[in-house]
Amino acid sequence: MAHNVRPSGYSKFAKKQTYTRRMGTKKNRAQMLLSERGGGLSLLILVILVLPLFLANNYHYDVVVNIGINAIVVVGLNLLIGHAGQISLGHAGFFGLGAYVSAVLTARYGVHGLVALPVGALGVGILAYAIARPVLRLSGHYLAMATLGVGLIIHIVISREAWLTGGPDGMYVPPLEVMGVAVYGGPVWYWIVAGALILAVWLSLNVIDSPVGRALRGLNGSEVAAQAAGVDTTRYKVMVFVLSAVMAAVAGSLAAHFSEFVSPTKASFLQSILFVTMVVLGGMASTFGAVLGAVMLTLLPQVLADFADYEQVILGLIMMAVMIALPKGLVPTLTALVKRWVRRAGS
Amino acid sequence: MTLLRVEGVSIQFGGVQAIQDLDFVINPGTIHSIIGPNGAGKTTLLNMITGIYAPSTGAIYLDDVPITGRRPHDLARLGLARTFQNLQIMRTMTALDNVMVGRHLHLNRNLLSCLLRLPSVTRGDRQARKRCVELMESVGLGGYIDAEAGAMPYGALKRLEIARALAAEPKLLLLDEPAAGLNATETKEIDEVIVKVARSGVTVVLVEHDMKLVMGISDHILVLDYGRKLAEGTPEAVRANPAVVAAYLGAVG
Amino acid sequence: MPPAFVEFLQFLLSGITSGAIYALVGLGFALIYNASHVINFAQGEFVMLGGMLTWALMSAGLDLPLAIGAAVALTVLAGLALEKLAIEPARDADVVTLIIITIGAGIFLRGVVSVTLGKDFHPLPSFSGDDPISVLGATIMPQSLWVLGVSALVVIALQLFFRYTLLGKSILATSYNRDAARLMGVNVGFVLLLSFGLSAMLGAMAGILIAPITATNFEVGIILGLKGFAAAILGGLGNGLGAIVGGLLLGIIESLGAGYISSDYKDAMAFVVILGVLFFMPSGLFGRRRTERV
Repeated sequence: MAHNVRPSGYSKFAKKQTYTRRMGTKKNRAQMLLSERGGGLSLLILVILVLPLFLANNYHYDVVVNIGINAIVVVGLNLLIGHAGQISLGHAGFFGLGAYVSAVLTARYGVHGLVALPVGALGVGILAYAIARPVLRLSGHYLAMATLGVGLIIHIVISREAWLTGGPDGMYVPPLEVMGVAVYGGPVWYWIVAGALILAVWLSLNVIDSPVGRALRGLNGSEVAAQAAGVDTTRYKVMVFVLSAVMAAVAGSLAAHFSEFVSPTKASFLQSILFVTMVVLGGMASTFGAVLGAVMLTLLPQVLADFADYEQVILGLIMMAVMIALPKGLVPTLTALVKRWVRRAGS
Repeated sequence: MTLLRVEGVSIQFGGVQAIQDLDFVINPGTIHSIIGPNGAGKTTLLNMITGIYAPSTGAIYLDDVPITGRRPHDLARLGLARTFQNLQIMRTMTALDNVMVGRHLHLNRNLLSCLLRLPSVTRGDRQARKRCVELMESVGLGGYIDAEAGAMPYGALKRLEIARALAAEPKLLLLDEPAAGLNATETKEIDEVIVKVARSGVTVVLVEHDMKLVMGISDHILVLDYGRKLAEGTPEAVRANPAVVAAYLGAVG
Repeated sequence: MPPAFVEFLQFLLSGITSGAIYALVGLGFALIYNASHVINFAQGEFVMLGGMLTWALMSAGLDLPLAIGAAVALTVLAGLALEKLAIEPARDADVVTLIIITIGAGIFLRGVVSVTLGKDFHPLPSFSGDDPISVLGATIMPQSLWVLGVSALVVIALQLFFRYTLLGKSILATSYNRDAARLMGVNVGFVLLLSFGLSAMLGAMAGILIAPITATNFEVGIILGLKGFAAAILGGLGNGLGAIVGGLLLGIIESLGAGYISSDYKDAMAFVVILGVLFFMPSGLFGRRRTERV
């Protein structure tokens, strides 16, 4: 029974003075603005309200709506990867599946889009639940492999069953109809996706700051300790896996109706990787980091398009450079800087 | 009336008999120490009681209900809480959030309620936060409420584990070497905390390998050696037991 | 020979051939994982580099053997550079961060090759002709024999390297316990570098051996890399023998599945199998069971 070695420079009183008690005192205003629930959500809504002033054409709307759709997926994935510490290299599979359920049901079977969307979400939820229990027993790289496998299998099935899905060429999707009126065009979709994103962020922030969120971070920090505290860790891993898969499916359905077209690339391995990279780039366990990651990695290919053939070279370089320079991701690194600055200014 | 009853429990790991045919009972409201040299099987025993290992043979009862082989989170529901010898701290969370995880079973943890942030969730969290701060203060962590756990010193983390376990309001608290690695003053402070906890009505099982530490505060001592019961009884009886003196105190020196 | 048997043998032979390639790639994963606990998702790009560089050097006028030697050497350089420039600076990062760095490296390498060598498919010439050899009624191409022979030699050579050389032993020591190895005087940094060099070599050889059969282009590394990863996981991550058995099993299952069930789903077979195995054996076929001390 090994003894833990006490860290050097140990002094039981050293840190006592530096932390002030929060209970009973009003939160510092700067702290409030830096908190996700306070400042973050207001800032997001503000940006969403102001942004249309800068959108000049359909292409701009197209890019921004795609950012919003990706952000919804990544906000969900962040709960799984950032908070619960469970990696998934297959979430594009759920995204693609949501998109294809909407596409196939509306285009081939004449189901109403607003019915197809929840059907897709429910279907993906059930599928995710069925695979979650065995898959989430795995840890680390084995979990990465299993989720990667699930994503690849979904991608292959979508590509091969051409009679249903149109195969590698993809298929046309009718526009969403609300009360008999077809919904199309950038500006309308902008507000739909903006609403969905704000909802996703709000729900995510709620979960994070709740017994469920603490249970997720707890099992990430120490699985045995969480279990000893009464957390049924398997159940919570399954729960957050299903939740993130459903959010991906809903985003997929929106994407299908927005672009009125789906193709298997939506469910590809590379798309899964992009989603994970968005989470890590923005900053693990940071909801607004997830949004920022989605913004950056959706914009990047647009910006790099000017470099034509060099797009991949530059994308790869940027991925490596950012991860080496900021292994904690953008938002946590920046908030840490600002917090240090605020503390210094305040003292 | 016994709180915990262990009957004929054995466990082996690949041919090694870690615990062999062990019987003992723990009465409510006492501090019950389990001591023995390194490798005697103390932590293994604790891991069996708290459901991390299932015993190869034998049975364990809590309040006369068989709990053999039940999973750790189920046992937590029945009133078991523990700390870990090798610290199991959620290092990226704040100290308070660590203790709040310990409160898990007392909170509204329905996913839909949490997604929608229903008043019952916020109200529960608010009350829990108050209670957890009290607990942290009672174990001497009042200065660390918002500290990031990973940045706290070793001695404070030992107390944090106790606070987290207490947050579950357990019937039976199992402490695995809470004083290991602490100096004399800190050990004395931990002893005071343990006595305070016991006085509040929680039954305490204290695992230690240093016999001197437990003599002063234990009501009852169980001595293990090579996975078997070597002696059992009051501190005085155990201290006077020649087998204990020979095998244990003699060896330690 | 009954036709059903001949057909079976044919599937088996082609399965073993691709299985040997998966095994080589899987070994590369295992080597790097053992030395550094990093899963190198750029492993497939080593395979691609081997094939593409050989083709490029041959187009520049080099003989096949010389082109092969130079291509392997260049790929090893790429592997060393990857470790030195991208992995070493991020030593303390999370597993996920490291995964993303290696994926970024993969995208970068694919980009560089597509820009400099183009996006077309290029076959390499077979090493010793294209006259099929008959085995109990089934046929096998001479190139398949090259694949099997060279793979076997590589495995034996690695075995000898790990067993009898100081360098090999220090890699093994590092994989068992990095801190202890460092205390015993092993230069752990050098071992990491070496493991990347060695797995780049394995990858390049796999890519060169398979190129005459399937042709090569800048994207072949993606799927070969994933199958190699699957092989390494199937056998139990970090277990060299496991990676070889895993690779061969995947190749055979894939080939039989494509032959008897559905050739459309050839690529899916490997992943269905691996999910099936992981559901029942969470640490792969030969993986060490991990127990946590609390």
